[in-house]
Amino acid sequence: MTRNGTETDRSREFDGDSVSESGSDSPSGAAPDPATPTFDTVDWTEYEGSRRLTRRNLAAVCSLCLYAALWASDRVVRSSHEPLLGLSRLDLTPTNVDWLFGLTLLAGFWAVVVPLWANPRLTRYYWRRIGRNRVAVASLAFLAAVFVVGLVGPFVLGYPQARWDLGHVPPVGFGGSWAHPFGTTRNGEDVLAITVVGMRVSMQVGLVATAISIGLSTVVGTTAAFVGGRVDDVLMRVVDLVMTFPSFFLVLFLVYVYGGNLFVLILILAVTTWGGQARLIRSEALQRSTETYITAAEAAGASRWFVIRRHVVPNVSNTIITAATLSIPVLILYEAVVAFLSFGDPGVWSWGRIIADGQTELATAWWVSTIPGIFLFLTVLAFNFLGDALRDALDPRHEVNRPR
Amino acid sequence: MARYVCWRLLWAVVATCFVLTVTFGILSASPNPEASQAAWEAAQSGGDPTETREILEQRRGETGSIAEQYVDYMVSMATFDWGESFTYNEPVTTVIADAWVYSAITVIPATVLAVVLGFAIGLYSATHQYTKTDYAATFVAFFGISIPNFWFAIVLVLVFGELLGLTPISYDSEVPFWSLAHLSYLVLPITVLATSAIASEMRYARAEALEYVGAAWIKTARAKGISELQVTVRHVFRPALVPLITILIADVVGIIFATAYIVEVIFGIPGLGYVSYQALVRMDTPLVLATTLIPVFLTIVANLCQDVAYTMLDPRIDYEGGSR
Repeated sequence: MTRNGTETDRSREFDGDSVSESGSDSPSGAAPDPATPTFDTVDWTEYEGSRRLTRRNLAAVCSLCLYAALWASDRVVRSSHEPLLGLSRLDLTPTNVDWLFGLTLLAGFWAVVVPLWANPRLTRYYWRRIGRNRVAVASLAFLAAVFVVGLVGPFVLGYPQARWDLGHVPPVGFGGSWAHPFGTTRNGEDVLAITVVGMRVSMQVGLVATAISIGLSTVVGTTAAFVGGRVDDVLMRVVDLVMTFPSFFLVLFLVYVYGGNLFVLILILAVTTWGGQARLIRSEALQRSTETYITAAEAAGASRWFVIRRHVVPNVSNTIITAATLSIPVLILYEAVVAFLSFGDPGVWSWGRIIADGQTELATAWWVSTIPGIFLFLTVLAFNFLGDALRDALDPRHEVNRPR
Repeated sequence: MARYVCWRLLWAVVATCFVLTVTFGILSASPNPEASQAAWEAAQSGGDPTETREILEQRRGETGSIAEQYVDYMVSMATFDWGESFTYNEPVTTVIADAWVYSAITVIPATVLAVVLGFAIGLYSATHQYTKTDYAATFVAFFGISIPNFWFAIVLVLVFGELLGLTPISYDSEVPFWSLAHLSYLVLPITVLATSAIASEMRYARAEALEYVGAAWIKTARAKGISELQVTVRHVFRPALVPLITILIADVVGIIFATAYIVEVIFGIPGLGYVSYQALVRMDTPLVLATTLIPVFLTIVANLCQDVAYTMLDPRIDYEGGSR
């Protein structure tokens, strides 16, 4: 409450400063000689780094620093005692992907959750618009469940263990028991445990790769639109070139060369899919850059970087969020296909891998590939529904559901 | 117009060179998977890994400076001297010449099906917007976009092949090419391929047709008393066709090629996708390179056709000046 108060006071004070022509009645005391009326100049270096902005940014930077320190200490500790090689054991030491996942969640918290929390009225408005779409609300609930179960589930259920004595056990209702509700694979691994681990992997791939690619495309798109001229030409030609590669074949080729380690796969997916989003964000930012508030900020002497960060990116954020939501399912499907074709990470149980495993024994054990596949399908479907609803809610200009 | 086409052609050449350069860069900057495999095998059997690697590199012509290798690579690519596949013991070009027919027999019918059905359903839901049928069609479109193709193929095999016994489970290349039996092998692959493309065709068609459903000339056409079908076909479909045709090319290439790859692997159809998959698994680098580059080249050509077709079909579009 107090923070809000100081914020509004400060902005009012600031507005008074910049608007008053003489500056003689300015309470800040930095007034020039009252005899010669001049325009008050805004000290942009001070404003751009003022407390009004840094309060939140400081907290964000602090949390990121803390996170980096945690990561560094983990590296030090881990180098002192290497974990034993054991793929069937639940490995509690976080991998590179886990660290990136945490970083993505942290960034998402500061970029999405905190601004929504700070603007409750806007949040309620958006929520009402999304709430009209029941399918979207159901999708959101399903995705939240998948996210939480994927995050916590592996610690509860444990990593799928091979139990050779069990062999195939059908799921509940088809002659199985509640010990293995989704049945087991031919090695006796619990399909439910694999499905839960798969949720985690899919969420990690979808969110981390999308965060990287959307960050890249936001920087490229807004810079191209706002700087314009030769920079725009060059950047857009680069986007054209990136988009000449059909992503699927590029991903396969890169996986062939660099291997299908989950961390590498995420990077490959991120760098192959940012082109279309960059183009979309550029066209959106181009429309914003002609708005009067941008001209006003420029006329007041704001630096280009400040205008992009403060005015352009927040105003295209609706497009960015929609594009991100719609790119997550695509990336999840890519990971699943790579794992299905057996080029994925051999140490990670992903939905694609278990579906491929069950393919050879469809006649005897249909549940091995169908049950995880249903989850993959529903996750992708839910993301698509949610993305479409978000586009309707956040982006009133899109009246027609145009694909891509 | 001529200037634009020239400029566009030039751009296609630039893009091709770029793709070739990037693949060369990736291949030469990274450890060669095939050589690493051979070196590892040599070390396993007590041989000298470095020596094996050198022999292999010599055989592949990887000697001399990077610049020489690059020139060699570009020249051989341009002259269709794409190397020898060691899994097939044949030149890569021969392997591809044998395989493409099997890709064509699934891709072409699936494309035709997807386009005809996709456009028809899209048009219908545009002219009947916000009816139950429209909602159903939209739902089906979401279904088609979201369903993982490989899983859909497996479910179809499970239901129609294993449970009902209506269709064969995997492809048999011994079946005579021109026969009804052959068709029964192709039903499921074509269905999967068509579903993948039909959904996006439908959504494009619906969005495009909606722009014309409210046009003044539709009202005029209705006023003069022609049937609804004629209104749809002549006054909605025709203007929507121009953007649709151009979208179609790039879209079909993108979706169908990727899906065809997976479908061929699952059903064991010996087309380009299957060959490419085998090459990837066996680390047959020349064949991997060729089979991944062919879709890329086809995409570049398709994009070129799309842009040129756009200028020809729609007189309102003027690309003079060469920049978009």
